[in-house]
Amino acid sequence: MESDSGACASVYLIGHLTCMVLATMLPAGLLSGQAAQAPEAVLQEAEALHRAGKLDQAIEDYRLFLAQHPEVVQVRSDLGAALAGAGRYEEAITEYKRALKLQSLPRIRLNLALAYFKANQPALAAKELEQVRVKMPDDLRAAMLLADCYLRLGENKKVIQLLDPLEPSQADKLAITYMLGNALVRDGQVARGQVLIDKILRNGDSAEARLLMGITKLMMNDVPGAIVDLQKAVELNPTLPSAHAYYGRALRNAAKPEEAEKALRAELGLNPNDFDSNLYLGVTLKEEKKYDEALRFLQHALEVRPGDLGVLFQIASLHLAERNFDLAQQELEALVKAAPNFLEAHVALATLYYRVKQKVDGDREQAIVAKLTAEQQAREAAAQLPGKGEGSNKAQPPMQSPN
Amino acid sequence: MRICRREFIARAGLGLGTLSVLGADLSASREGTNGVVTFQEADPRQTGVMWVHDNAMSPQHYLPETEPPGVAVFDYNNDGNTDLLLVNTGECVFFHPTTPHRHALYRNNGDGTFTDVTEEAGITANLFAMGVAIGDYDGDGHQDIFITGYEKSVLYHNNGDRTFTDVTAASGIHPPGWSSSAVWFDYNNDGKLDLYVSQFVDYSSLRTCGQADSYGGKMDGATPEQRFYCAPRIFRPTSNRLYRNEGGGKFTDVSEETGISKSRGKGWGVVVTDINNDGYMDIFQANDMVANFLFVNREGKRFEEMGLAAGVGYSMDGVPRSGMGVDAADFNDDGWQELFVANIDQEIFSLYLNNRDETFDDVAWKTGIGPVTRMLSGWGLKFFDYDNDGRTDLILSNGHPDDFIDLRSRGVTYREPMVLFHNEGNGKMLNVSEQSGEVFKKRICARGLAVGDLNNDGYPDVVVGVNGGVPLLLYNNVESKNNWLGLKLVGTTANPAAIGAILKWSAGGRVHHRLKNAGGSFLSSHDPREILGLGKSEKVDWLEITWPRPSQRVERFSELPINRYITVVEGKGTTRP
Repeated sequence: MESDSGACASVYLIGHLTCMVLATMLPAGLLSGQAAQAPEAVLQEAEALHRAGKLDQAIEDYRLFLAQHPEVVQVRSDLGAALAGAGRYEEAITEYKRALKLQSLPRIRLNLALAYFKANQPALAAKELEQVRVKMPDDLRAAMLLADCYLRLGENKKVIQLLDPLEPSQADKLAITYMLGNALVRDGQVARGQVLIDKILRNGDSAEARLLMGITKLMMNDVPGAIVDLQKAVELNPTLPSAHAYYGRALRNAAKPEEAEKALRAELGLNPNDFDSNLYLGVTLKEEKKYDEALRFLQHALEVRPGDLGVLFQIASLHLAERNFDLAQQELEALVKAAPNFLEAHVALATLYYRVKQKVDGDREQAIVAKLTAEQQAREAAAQLPGKGEGSNKAQPPMQSPN
Repeated sequence: MRICRREFIARAGLGLGTLSVLGADLSASREGTNGVVTFQEADPRQTGVMWVHDNAMSPQHYLPETEPPGVAVFDYNNDGNTDLLLVNTGECVFFHPTTPHRHALYRNNGDGTFTDVTEEAGITANLFAMGVAIGDYDGDGHQDIFITGYEKSVLYHNNGDRTFTDVTAASGIHPPGWSSSAVWFDYNNDGKLDLYVSQFVDYSSLRTCGQADSYGGKMDGATPEQRFYCAPRIFRPTSNRLYRNEGGGKFTDVSEETGISKSRGKGWGVVVTDINNDGYMDIFQANDMVANFLFVNREGKRFEEMGLAAGVGYSMDGVPRSGMGVDAADFNDDGWQELFVANIDQEIFSLYLNNRDETFDDVAWKTGIGPVTRMLSGWGLKFFDYDNDGRTDLILSNGHPDDFIDLRSRGVTYREPMVLFHNEGNGKMLNVSEQSGEVFKKRICARGLAVGDLNNDGYPDVVVGVNGGVPLLLYNNVESKNNWLGLKLVGTTANPAAIGAILKWSAGGRVHHRLKNAGGSFLSSHDPREILGLGKSEKVDWLEITWPRPSQRVERFSELPINRYITVVEGKGTTRP
């Protein structure tokens, strides 16, 4: 009985994972022979309420039933579905987990994954879906949802690996084409991505196609071109996931910070847990010295991706900029411990030490900076790495974890 | 000779449009709200400045082709008019012109026209020149010339008879490799001008690049054989050079003993200033793709490189940027020097506010400079008070180094507009380019930029070197009607250029500060005279000059004239030229 409105293109197509089917699996013997006010009557009422969309009451009844029969897997799962339907994802996740402890059914795990996904925990969702895929390798819904999770996690190669074999046989599934094209473009396989974009375009102008074209152009450093397509994408479908986010990034690269902020905020209005939008908005506000507000978005990004070193660095850098030296020191010291080759973090830490007059520590960090810089220069001289102006990442604030 | 501005403009051929505008009500405010064009580009056919820079652009795209030229504004013959020196490319290991290229020394005739005196002056060295630094190294009262270049640099001694002699060989100044900007200043406070030469990368490989290791994004249709300008990232950094003036035309390379050569960078612009007000001049150098250098002068004996420690080496996110143009000034008039760096597109230029403890904070965004400069790549630039309101404004010249960038990175262009910022006095820099003349709508391959008063009207003009093009002479017509006082400072015990002198003056009860810095911009050399903007004040209440060491003499003047230039000789009072 869960519905999947507004999460992403693939989720639209996954449709409804209803508990109606699941309810029919409830062992008949369990309900027979019980009194009129007995649990089965409560359960029937719960199901009716669930179907009628009266979720709070249904949840109440499910819980009444489960108080007496906590071992009934299917009802526990239905409770999870009702909770998810009511947007109470954390509680839903708890119930699905309990159900799975009773019986490890892939369909319940799929529901658990969906709850994770809707709770903006794509990493956990992906973990569950990988297990589902082992049991249900041909289940297209699981594959698509998993691909969407990978996409959100930036695991573009995994998306490609997953969808590449499926795409030719699922030519009518534009969501697959869209996600695969998206992953190819983001992975730098622009030519292959372009083929899929053309395929989408043959179905007429669409927000999805415009988004893909916009992302492609953004990656090729055609910022004005990207802005045109991304603007069209948000016009065609103002609720298309990631469209406002990329539009905001393009505007940011075009030196239009106010418009960028507006677009990033629009994305977060639709999807408060969009990692990139939180991060880019936080960095944009930090540049504008709006530290308090910037910190809120950066911290939210960190909630979405706990432990992300790029975000942790941005937060530490913000604290350094606003002269909260104690906190910045703690954060930067932890960061270089976790990532000893994180050059920018060493630079910031050295700067901080000098600011607080810890010259010996500053000199030590500066020596590390010199060493890492020399190593980097040697690598660059040898490897002929791309030069400045390539992409929009030149001297952009570090937003990704170092290798 | 001094002529009035209107007459000068008419003679300089700035066009009937300008004349008719000037005939209108001149009470308009600074930005020409009555139609007065603040900066008017002079017509080369009228000025006679017809010289064209040859950038030697080849199919191979050797990197030195895309960086010059520098320009200098100075009075080579002491006639009171500022002349122009424009340097050109020439013979080197990768370039062999069939006919020798020529630099151009233009004598300012004082009537809006210039005469090419290059050959008679003897400025004929054949080298692949980058930039120029002007300074009277022997204190004979005549400005000497140092020209930087690829493989070779040249020192010209001014003979005082309108001719120069190449004295490079005997001077001891032989910077190796690729020299970019240079600056004369007295690092050890012995009263003589020393020379700092910033060095760019080790380009001995003459490596040329395909798309992958060049500037910019991917270009449709590019063949594997297609050559692009290499990104400096792939070349090894080099050490800079400091030459101590021993007197008698001799210099000693003290790069090692002073600690300068210890830091290896990829140097472009360099400015000399005193960041900690200790009376010893420090060096700030913009580096390309590696951290900028701030060499803090420790009592004239050694330099401590403090770019990182001071917070001026990297962006606020710990990333080295592509520093090119550079300058220093007391932007907020608090008696402490701020630093400025122009970077490449997407990086935002940097304005570093002095925290008065040898550290700085980048306030480019806060001042309004950040958003304006995000898509620009900056070279020559200068803090100057173009409207003489007593506040330090800023002019930037721009252009991307990659001639294919338009095809590779939409939104970024090879030719870019210049930008003029007006200091609003509230910590904000207002972009006034749009209302300051057609020249700010023009897209050019600007490189060097020098500021100087070409017509002695007290309002600083601008000369811009264009890579592969005709230089721009921009006459300042601002109609602020603000008053001013021009100073030519001559050190006697202190160094002759009075680099490091502290000027403090009061006008209308408001006290201003200025440190006489050296260098700045990109490959270029400014008019050494100082113009003090007085605003609407009808007089200078007082002027105090603290001469640099070894003098340290403090002289205080009152009853000074306004709206004219005076010469102040250390210990000998003022004279009118």
